[in-house]
Amino acid sequence: MEEKTLTYFESSGGFLGARSGEEEYTRVRAVRLFPFSDPDKYISIRVGSEAGEELAVIRDLTELAPEQRELIEHDLELNYFMPVINKIISIKDEYGYAYFHVMTDKGEVKFTINMGGTNVSKLSETRLLITDINENRFEIRDVRELTPAEQRKLDLFL
Amino acid sequence: MILNFELTDDLRSLITLTDKEEIYYSLPIDIDERSRYTRDSFLVVSNTTIYVIMHGALERTLAIADCSEAKSHAHVGQGLLTVNHKGVLTVLARYTHGHMGRYAYVARGINILASGRTEHVESNEYEASCPKCGRAIPGTARCPHCSGENRFVSTVKRIAKPYIPQFIGIAVLMILASVTTLVNPAIQRHLVDNVLLEEEPSKTAAFLCLGGMFLMSAGIVFVNVAKSFYSTKLGARISMDMRNSLFDKLQKAPLSYINDRRPGELLNRVVQDTRVIREFMENSFCNLFTVAFIFVCDVIFMLSINPKLALLSFIPAPFVVMLMLAFRKSIHRRFHLQWHKNDDASSNLQDVISGMRVVKSYGNEKPEAAKFLKYSNEYCRVQTRNECFWAIFNPMLSFLMGAGVFVVVYFGGRDVLLGDMTTGELIQFMTYTTLLYQYLNWMTQLPRQLTAIISSLERIDDILAFDRIPNHGEGVVKTIEGQVDFEKATFGYRSYKPVLEGIDLHVRPGEKIGIVGPSGAGKSTLINLLMGLYEADDGVLMVDGTDIRTLDRKSFHSQLGVVLQETFLFSGTILENIRFARPDATYEEVIAAARTANAHDFICRTPGGYDTYVGEKGYNLSGGERQRIAIARAVLANPSLLILDEATASLDTESEYLVQNALSKLTKGKTTFAIAHRLSTLKDCDRLIVIDGHKICEVGSHEELIAAKGLYYELLTAQLQMQRRREG
Repeated sequence: MEEKTLTYFESSGGFLGARSGEEEYTRVRAVRLFPFSDPDKYISIRVGSEAGEELAVIRDLTELAPEQRELIEHDLELNYFMPVINKIISIKDEYGYAYFHVMTDKGEVKFTINMGGTNVSKLSETRLLITDINENRFEIRDVRELTPAEQRKLDLFL
Repeated sequence: MILNFELTDDLRSLITLTDKEEIYYSLPIDIDERSRYTRDSFLVVSNTTIYVIMHGALERTLAIADCSEAKSHAHVGQGLLTVNHKGVLTVLARYTHGHMGRYAYVARGINILASGRTEHVESNEYEASCPKCGRAIPGTARCPHCSGENRFVSTVKRIAKPYIPQFIGIAVLMILASVTTLVNPAIQRHLVDNVLLEEEPSKTAAFLCLGGMFLMSAGIVFVNVAKSFYSTKLGARISMDMRNSLFDKLQKAPLSYINDRRPGELLNRVVQDTRVIREFMENSFCNLFTVAFIFVCDVIFMLSINPKLALLSFIPAPFVVMLMLAFRKSIHRRFHLQWHKNDDASSNLQDVISGMRVVKSYGNEKPEAAKFLKYSNEYCRVQTRNECFWAIFNPMLSFLMGAGVFVVVYFGGRDVLLGDMTTGELIQFMTYTTLLYQYLNWMTQLPRQLTAIISSLERIDDILAFDRIPNHGEGVVKTIEGQVDFEKATFGYRSYKPVLEGIDLHVRPGEKIGIVGPSGAGKSTLINLLMGLYEADDGVLMVDGTDIRTLDRKSFHSQLGVVLQETFLFSGTILENIRFARPDATYEEVIAAARTANAHDFICRTPGGYDTYVGEKGYNLSGGERQRIAIARAVLANPSLLILDEATASLDTESEYLVQNALSKLTKGKTTFAIAHRLSTLKDCDRLIVIDGHKICEVGSHEELIAAKGLYYELLTAQLQMQRRREG
């Protein structure tokens, strides 16, 4: 695939824009190719608010100049909201639903999951992805990093 | 779905409304500009202004007159509401998935207000969790918890009404069972006190007592058998009647209601929820009143025999109940986990077995075996642990249930020795205590069962209470000429994802319209609207100048002919399948229709002729043959409006010719809408419309569109090139 060398800028309204030589795109979107396994590597830059045609793939965000990187990171923030649970305050199960109260890297939150079905899926042995009844997704990076008491609360889903 | 959340007084005071201003919508913003969860942030829309409140302070005020193109974008894990404000695309709010649907409605609402109209947008979608108690709602309109026991009682009453005689019969049996259970210990006492402990026990009296006890015991067995028999019968009746009325209701429900639910969910409601009701009738209901009745009498008898002893024997009861509840909860958790592990192992197994060819061809047998071994070990570990737990704690529980009896034996024994109580009374008392604890155990199971049945009833009631699609034009039978007009029709299966936007299209009677466009552009959706399977969210669709919603549904559908890409044949004969359109058609008519559809010849070659059984486990027809049966079906209906959705897409060249030929006979003089990927099949169409990006982007005849060199031209040249490459 032919790739363009892009320079990024903030377009009106605070969105990500990109320039390649003569061509200018007032709205491009950054799409993570490995949102779970490697969120900061392999980022596809696509045209328009619907993420259409691919312009380039950034192999590693850290290779970009800091101010360029910030622009991409800002766009990623608008495109992805993937809270990571780092503390379980309580889990209550009642008649087929489990009510979670947790602390995430995005702040404290309560959510509900349906206990039947596959709403807690294992990304790996120790990594969990929890989907709530509204289809919000929460990640637990490493179950072993939770306290034994928290792990016991999770027991029902492991 | 709530679109106008209540604001706290503090937040409400941030907004000063003018005289003619009224709040239309108010939605929480739950992600802030630093990408963190937030509270006290709202998007408030009045008829003239949009207010953005962040962290309890008014941050922005936008006049709706300056805004256009409000849109809710669904991104990963969050949504963005953007508007075009004075020519600049601006983000107004960020929110999690729970509000995504709401914002789509409000975006539509803002666009309506921006266009100068004032109507409100409303949402019929259900809430996922109860706004009052926060509990999840099991796919119903009301929260089963908050709708409360009152509604439960009224639902039960309504359902039970036709079966009152049966219920009375069972109640009589229940009372009989209670009486026999309670009288037996009294006879026992009589036997001990008045017969056995006499100086000279009378044999006749003893035998009389024994006979009485035998009769009572035998009686209990008979009464219980009869009670279980009638309860089971009644349970089966009720659940059958419910299944029937559910099925009936589902057939009448609009497709959008069915599509809104997960696949299998409705099946579950018909099959599983009615089973829950049957099981409840069989296992719990038939004992419910017996147990309650005996329990109350039991306590009264105990108090009347020896109040002090009775109160003493009640003391362990609360502890026993608490322990039993805890035990049950723990058991439930443990076995749920076991079920989970079992599920993991078997789904892994299923995965590997169905993908066996891939596993073997990549030589991956060993790692796959190791993976399965791991799941299997996990399951084994959990199972062993659970069985141990059960083996240890179950006897302990039985022991606890005897706790009351120990108290009675100790204190009662002392009373007997002191002469305050007779031996017979003690024996009677002990039996009552055992009964008491037995029924306590039974009653601790009740809350879970009641919740299960309340949820099931709520889910069933949700369908039964659902109003069928109003058939406004009921009885207005009209012959359709075939004029079709779309006026600004907008529609989406999911509220936040419009598939068609502002469709304007006017079709004359007898005109043939070809619909072209990339996949996912909304071609089939347009046709679904035309078939009346869904209603437009916005705008109108008119047939012969009448709004499609005001036409009699049955009469409209009987004048509609449909041939889809994959023809669905029901299990049954070819004859039955052709007659599906008109069950009263004569043999001659069926044969004539089959001839028009080029189907007669191949039907003659099948072993059973028109009586050949097709569908599941039936004679296998090829794709082209199925299509021609579908065409025969359409011919028989003699519709005035025809819909062909990729009717020839999956056919080889020869059968395509036969089908094409049959179709051209069928469509003669009828308004026809045809979707096709292969553009060459649309060359007979009077007009072609090209759909892209949810809109109609080109309209015109084949020649006009080629001259215009637009999207149609591009699609056509791409196809021709591909064809040439394949041939060359």
